Amino acid sequence: MNQLIPAVGFGLITASILCIAAVGFTLQFSVTNILNLAYGDIMTACAFVAYLANHAGVNIWISMAIAALFGAVFSALINRFVYFQFVRRGTRLFGMIIVTIAMSLIIQNVLLAIFRPTFFSYKASPGSSYNFGGMIFTGSQLAIIGIAVASMLAIHLISTRTKLGKAMRATATNPSLARSCGIATDQVIDAAWLLSGALCGIAGVAFVLNTATFSEVTGATFLVPIIAAAILGGIGQPYGAMLGALTIGLASEIAASAINPSYKDVVAFVILIVVLLVRPQGILSEVASAKEVAA
Amino acid sequence: MTDSMQFYISTLVIYLFIDIIGVLGLNLQFGVAGIINFAYIVFVAVGAYTAAVLSLGPDYPGNFQHYAFGASWPFPLPILAGGAVAGALSLLVGVISLRRLRSDYQAMVMLVLSLIATLVATNATGLVNGPAGLATIPQPLYDWLNLDPLTYQWVYAGWCGFLTLVIFLFVRGITNSPLGRSLRAMRDNDRAASAIGKNVTAMRLMIFVVGGVIAGISGAVFVEFIQAWSPGSWLYPETFVFLAAILVGGAANNWGVMLGTLLVPVGFLEATRFLPQIFYNGFIEAMQWVAVGLLILIFLWFRPVGLIPERPGRFRARAETPSAPGE
Repeated sequence: MNQLIPAVGFGLITASILCIAAVGFTLQFSVTNILNLAYGDIMTACAFVAYLANHAGVNIWISMAIAALFGAVFSALINRFVYFQFVRRGTRLFGMIIVTIAMSLIIQNVLLAIFRPTFFSYKASPGSSYNFGGMIFTGSQLAIIGIAVASMLAIHLISTRTKLGKAMRATATNPSLARSCGIATDQVIDAAWLLSGALCGIAGVAFVLNTATFSEVTGATFLVPIIAAAILGGIGQPYGAMLGALTIGLASEIAASAINPSYKDVVAFVILIVVLLVRPQGILSEVASAKEVAA
Repeated sequence: MTDSMQFYISTLVIYLFIDIIGVLGLNLQFGVAGIINFAYIVFVAVGAYTAAVLSLGPDYPGNFQHYAFGASWPFPLPILAGGAVAGALSLLVGVISLRRLRSDYQAMVMLVLSLIATLVATNATGLVNGPAGLATIPQPLYDWLNLDPLTYQWVYAGWCGFLTLVIFLFVRGITNSPLGRSLRAMRDNDRAASAIGKNVTAMRLMIFVVGGVIAGISGAVFVEFIQAWSPGSWLYPETFVFLAAILVGGAANNWGVMLGTLLVPVGFLEATRFLPQIFYNGFIEAMQWVAVGLLILIFLWFRPVGLIPERPGRFRARAETPSAPGE
């Protein structure tokens, strides 16, 4: 029992980071129908941008904002100049997944070539510790949870209260109908990738802040729980991804404290397999099966 | 020719044959049946580990490496077992992931599987000796043949060549058969294929297992040659070297993918090995991976059919085959 409460604390932090990442991942899918397997590597790239800013003397939270900005622009550019070009040429699901994995290889190894194979960490003090009934959080961990809640609230408000959100949901449901109704779907898609890229950047920096060190493969490895959370929640569903992230985050940390911390991702994987076995229709939801890649 | 040159060339020949076996298996899944198996290297690895532990002999206390299921089976058995275990794992994975998932979800699940398999092999230290991996795996019949190392290399190359021929004939038998046509129909339009009475799930599963067995055999033959195997030998990007070979050579064309193997894993990756080390150790290697990624993108963009495209059906005289929608 005395192990459980701290594990729940860790779970909440992991879930917060996962939430930001999984919502970004699922948002890209819902609007463009692309499963972006380079997502993890874009996270790593953002973490490196924050690293450069941080080691140039910038405060870590401002570095995170810079990384978010970089993630937004970088993701939107990749979509516009690589993915969208392939989609326009007629590359479909089958081919697009290969395009994204090729992008992932390229980004990961360009980072490796620039930064060399070693481990990196930020210059940031974790802040003083706070104890909430047995769950111990450092100041920066509390900040991460706060940022996650704020980003989710922001996503919720953007998608329900703004014109852009409405346009994004319309594009996600039926791109050609949305276009016929006078929605500039290209701009909406750009906006969605900017938004999800910003989430990707925040998640990358938050993840590294929590794990202390990172290398060029950090983001690619984190793709396992991201995909598990997104699938658990029904891929393409931002609210589902939030719920999925909470489940995966808590379950993997609690199981890790009971078994072996290195098997954290295996727990996420087992949950993924169970979802596939028990509820494959959850993945092949009406939205996903009816849609093709938005072109 | 100097001995060291002969060593190098015979090693390259062996690599070429083994890579061809691996690529033929993946081409069966990806090119012919349209299954995106991003975890292909896992099945190669499972075959390799199986063959390794079955020829290393039983583990004993005080051994410098620890593994499960150790035995010393005679020569061809570890390879067959490698294929069988990889095939069994394919069946398990296929049953879970190939049922009703869309092709890109399948790909995503396979990628996750590849990452997890590395994690498990690294952390379950008692299984296949954790991150250090297995070493001193005996080469088959080395003592019995009693040859000098160089001749043995050439004999091994001959054995790999023979195996490649057997697998090539087997794969060609599948692709040229009515089953091969059904598989291509399923790849191009699985709804139409099932509408004319083809059981697409069963076909997909079958070809996934056949590809897995071939992967396992290629891994087993490889590990018996290089005598060592660790989680670092089969990280998930390795699958994309095979995939690049297929896309460059020409998916679904057995001759094409063999050309692709000669060009990508053997020609390109070996040739760049001789570039001088610039900047720092490992830079060239990183750039090789960038090049593999670029090669995939470039071929998908400029020549998605590859260098030797798949031959169209030969029934033109009777009726024009309509081009498949989608893909």
